[in-house]
Amino acid sequence: MAEPSQSKIKKEEMVKLISAEGFEFVISKKAAMVSQTIRNMLTSPGSFAETEHGEVTFPEISTTILEKICQYFYWSLQYASGKETEFHIEPELTLELMMAANYLHT
Amino acid sequence: MDSRLIQMCIEAAAESSDAVEAWRRQRRTLERMPSLLAEALLHRLLHRGLLFPSLLEVFRHSVEKMDLRGQNCVDAEWMAYLGSFHYLSSLNLADCYKISGAALWSIIGITNLKELDLSRCSKMNDAGIRHLSSFPSLERLCISETGVSSEGIRLLSSLTNLYYLDLGGLAVSDLALSSLQGLKKLQFLDLWGSEISNSGAALLQYFPKLSSLNLAWTKVTKLPNLSSLEFLNLSNCTITSIFKGEGDKARLAKLVASNATFADVSGALSNVEIAFLSHLDLSNALIDSFCFLPHLTSVTYLDLGGSPMADDSVENIVCIGAKLTYLSLNNTKVSSEGMEILAGHLPNLETLLLSGTYIDDAAISYIGMMPSLKAINLSGTKIKGLIMQEGSDSSWVPTFSALQNLSQLERLELEGMQLKDAALYPFSILNSLTYLSLQSVILTDESLLLLSASQKLEHLAIRDAVLTNAGLNSFTPPPNLRVLDVRGGWLLTEDAIVLFSRKYPNIKLRHELAVSDRGGDFRYSSPAAQKTVSLKNARKFSVSPPVFDKSALLARDQRIKYTREELLELQFSVAPARFFPR
Repeated sequence: MAEPSQSKIKKEEMVKLISAEGFEFVISKKAAMVSQTIRNMLTSPGSFAETEHGEVTFPEISTTILEKICQYFYWSLQYASGKETEFHIEPELTLELMMAANYLHT
Repeated sequence: MDSRLIQMCIEAAAESSDAVEAWRRQRRTLERMPSLLAEALLHRLLHRGLLFPSLLEVFRHSVEKMDLRGQNCVDAEWMAYLGSFHYLSSLNLADCYKISGAALWSIIGITNLKELDLSRCSKMNDAGIRHLSSFPSLERLCISETGVSSEGIRLLSSLTNLYYLDLGGLAVSDLALSSLQGLKKLQFLDLWGSEISNSGAALLQYFPKLSSLNLAWTKVTKLPNLSSLEFLNLSNCTITSIFKGEGDKARLAKLVASNATFADVSGALSNVEIAFLSHLDLSNALIDSFCFLPHLTSVTYLDLGGSPMADDSVENIVCIGAKLTYLSLNNTKVSSEGMEILAGHLPNLETLLLSGTYIDDAAISYIGMMPSLKAINLSGTKIKGLIMQEGSDSSWVPTFSALQNLSQLERLELEGMQLKDAALYPFSILNSLTYLSLQSVILTDESLLLLSASQKLEHLAIRDAVLTNAGLNSFTPPPNLRVLDVRGGWLLTEDAIVLFSRKYPNIKLRHELAVSDRGGDFRYSSPAAQKTVSLKNARKFSVSPPVFDKSALLARDQRIKYTREELLELQFSVAPARFFPR
């Protein structure tokens, strides 16, 4: 009896981010909410399909960049909790990453 | 651009020329980049000295605004590349001294260009203006202090969309101004230092939307009624009448007339609708009387610095005191008696400037009665900060304690005064103080000790004081301190300065021997150039070590340090590095 409700809680805590190529990244909702855009999608009442399924597709963001973005979300949470490590960005990713960050308001 | 990730990306992209190489061929990405991001990246590259003409090209589809102000490297080659920026709407080339009139020919293809700033480009001339006439969309143009003559200005008449025109420092004649009458959208016009006379000023009525006008340093003495005007600058003019004429009166909000001469100030201002005037600058103006002041009921900013204001006319300020937030009486003959008259009548005053006035310690208690004060300047006054208490056991009492009720006081300037350490005791109870500037030759280490108790201080200056190495070493800075200025502390040695900077890396220590104050600003684009300069330095000092010319070292303009021959040599040692294709 307890099992389905537990998995339900777990499901709510995770979200799935899908890249342009269809790769899926399952990350914690808390991390994803670092992005103001995702936060709005997941918390706005009703209208978004994303709110119900906890799934967001980004047809404009490539897998490499979305992976980096997810890393950044977790780094950002760590940073906010006082663990000040360096977040390395490969120069060849800077342009795409910048544009994704701009879109995601992060 | 408040996003941290974007900032980090920009930093990483502009980290080195290798980083640039890693992304510069991503053309499709660069083409669809939002303009704000592209501009932020471009300007970061520029300030890191990594931008060169052929790299500019990758931004040509994305950048809309470009600020190249003061970049010495910008020349005709840059302009040739800029010509392909079809989406460019704003280009700032102020102080790019290599830009000539002919170089403008390269950019005539930018049909979207709305704003162009060529201020102080001395090679800019009438031929350049001829090219400008192919920009009918131009809305904002600044050509102050260029080589443009009256003839060139007449060519501007075709730019009918102009709403902002800065012609400061140009020899604009009345005739040239009359040819601009077709610019009906003009809202802002700067004509300082021009040859405009009263007959030219009369033509200003033909600009129906003019809201801001600068006629400083001109021969204009009479202004016609300009009903749309809100801001007027008549500094260094001799003023007989403003806005005399028929029609609606202008709702002037701001009048600047510093260094102006008024024969009859009440008469000159009689046509001004004073109900809207909130900012009045009459610093160093020659004024016959201050009787007009009580009528200025809306003024919040009043600058009477250097004017003939004295204790007998202070009563005129009292009448409008309730609204004032800014009052400057710098270098006037106002004394403590004048402050006594003002006390209690300035409930909203935030800034009070009294430097160089005749006030003494008695004034401090009156200043303490102005509850909203945030900034006070008492530099160069006779205030000692200590008075002898009358009574049986005569003792010295610090006077600054009278400021303790000023709960919002953030900034205090006390330079060029004979302040002793004991006068500083009350500062620890000024809870909001963030900026304190002291300059006194009789302050000692004890002052540092006393001020370490002022917890909110961010900027502390104790200049020309008798500070010792031991004093600096034992100083515990307040937690928020960012700048410690001990210039003129002649007992301090380089070792102590270095030690302090190491101990507190977040605090900028200013002293003649501190590294940051010594090197001057090198603004060379390539690392090769910097290397050359430092080698030069080394050689120069090794030739004549005993003569350590401090003034040359501190000079901002690095060129002063070199002879003509040395400069030529430098030029050729730098040039190949810059033109080397990357």
